Amino acid sequence: MTGMPETQIDWSKGVPLTAGNYFMGLYQPSPETAGFWEGVANDELRIKHCRDCGRLWHPKRIVCTHCGSSDLDWKKADGRGEIYSFTEVRRAPTPAFAASVPYALGLVKLVEGVFLFTRFFGAPGTIRIGAAATVDFKVLELGQKLPVFTVGE
Amino acid sequence: MRSDIGSKVAIVGIGRALAKKSDPEPKTPLQLGARAAVDAMRQAGIGRNQVGALFTGRTPQSYMVLQYNQSLMNELKIGPTFCSETTNHGAGALGALEVAALALDSRMIDYALVVTNEASGIWMDQVGSNASWEGDLQFEAAYGSTTPALYAQFACRYMHEYGITEEQCARVSVENRRWALDHPHAAMRSKGAISVDDVMNSRMIASPLKLLDCAVWYPGGIATAIVLTRADIARAKHEEVTYLAGFGQCSTHEWVGERMGGWGYEPMVDAPDMIRTGAGVSAIQAYEMSGLGPKDIDIVQTSAPFSFVNLMILEELGFCGRGEGGAFVDSGGVDYDGGLPFNTNGGYLSFGQVAQGLYNLTDTIDHLYGRSEGRPVKNAKVGMIHGHGGVLACHAVVIVSREQLQ
Ligand SMILES: [Zn+2]
Repeated sequence: MTGMPETQIDWSKGVPLTAGNYFMGLYQPSPETAGFWEGVANDELRIKHCRDCGRLWHPKRIVCTHCGSSDLDWKKADGRGEIYSFTEVRRAPTPAFAASVPYALGLVKLVEGVFLFTRFFGAPGTIRIGAAATVDFKVLELGQKLPVFTVGE
Repeated sequence: MRSDIGSKVAIVGIGRALAKKSDPEPKTPLQLGARAAVDAMRQAGIGRNQVGALFTGRTPQSYMVLQYNQSLMNELKIGPTFCSETTNHGAGALGALEVAALALDSRMIDYALVVTNEASGIWMDQVGSNASWEGDLQFEAAYGSTTPALYAQFACRYMHEYGITEEQCARVSVENRRWALDHPHAAMRSKGAISVDDVMNSRMIASPLKLLDCAVWYPGGIATAIVLTRADIARAKHEEVTYLAGFGQCSTHEWVGERMGGWGYEPMVDAPDMIRTGAGVSAIQAYEMSGLGPKDIDIVQTSAPFSFVNLMILEELGFCGRGEGGAFVDSGGVDYDGGLPFNTNGGYLSFGQVAQGLYNLTDTIDHLYGRSEGRPVKNAKVGMIHGHGGVLACHAVVIVSREQLQ
């Protein structure tokens, strides 16, 4: 994987997986999500698309459970959506996130109908169910660039 | 189609081993599990050569080996003809009973041993480790997800769609705590009673979940072992017989973020949502199998790591209508004084999250025989135990009865 920002995790080498203080091995994304992360590297949000029936899916999907096809490719998402659910995290999972609290996590419903778990950014009081949100790409606490959603722009 | 397996299988032996983090010699899940298993076999009066099947719940988080059931089988020096983990997260504990019942009813075996054990409270940073386990590593954990933050997505929608209030959720924490004050092994026994205001004023963890809305991790380890046999053998050869009157299981998803891509199956037949869980499907199976309904249940234990989950599960188990969990609790439905005996050891919120459901099962059986360690529930004949694991992903429900019901 070339041409990525220095802060980008190189998934091809695996990412250390820890459970509390315990190192549990190296985690690697599987081939079905590599295209998603290539998109993120280029500030493009991609979702899975069934080439047989046209349905759109979460980026993890391997099989289209609507028609049974596994002939899935990538479609660039519009990038707009609305907040379906959210929480404001006050207690961070690990020290790496402690300086960022409070931060908002939740499910965004894309205009294509696909739901993604994400980080929400917005002025106080604007993060609420039904609020319009637009994709952005930010390097978060683990040094990994991720799609996030901004409210009010 | 209704199954006829209700009350065909019974529990005839129980063993338990508890350890505290503060004990001079820390114990592993395998140490506790082996102790509990031997005690259960002894109580049932069966020898090692009689154990036809061994089923464990999932591998203990604090004893990560592949095929934990093999480690335990090796330690017990038994030769089961059917041996496996039952691994649908925490629901696998009760799920293992279901597998045992099927094996027994088929007459492939005469005795099954089911063991669950966890000692993560002794060996692990449970807050940090579960945050890593519950979140999808690519699509959730990288955002800084925590276990409360994932459950909070369900809380957000549940409160939004039904108008459930934080105060209603808090009341369950208050009532659960009152039961814990009477139970010698409850983690929060020494902390005293709490009020709705205490819950409301406790520090925010992941909105709307505050500290006292959250389960406390059990500060130690618990192993529970059960010996089961067919009802005919139980009646002929055993003294204390508790029937598995009904049981059910249902799993809906693995990751919260991708759950919303699921539909076309119960309980999300028409569309996905963040409210309906497999607990309702499990309960319907268990009720139909037993021939009982919610009004016949004398005592209920839930696997609810957050206060709002108790309201959702009360609805799913049929103790009130959908969306009425808040009103049910408001009207004293689970009050320590006069309500449904509910989480009678303090539940996950105040007994401590035991990570697996068989301890709550054996606590319920204690009530049926009038030997509860905590406050007794008088004249209890039928108990319901709910188990769950993953982030509201897998559910199991078991109904136990002193009387054979079918
Ligand atoms: Zn398709």
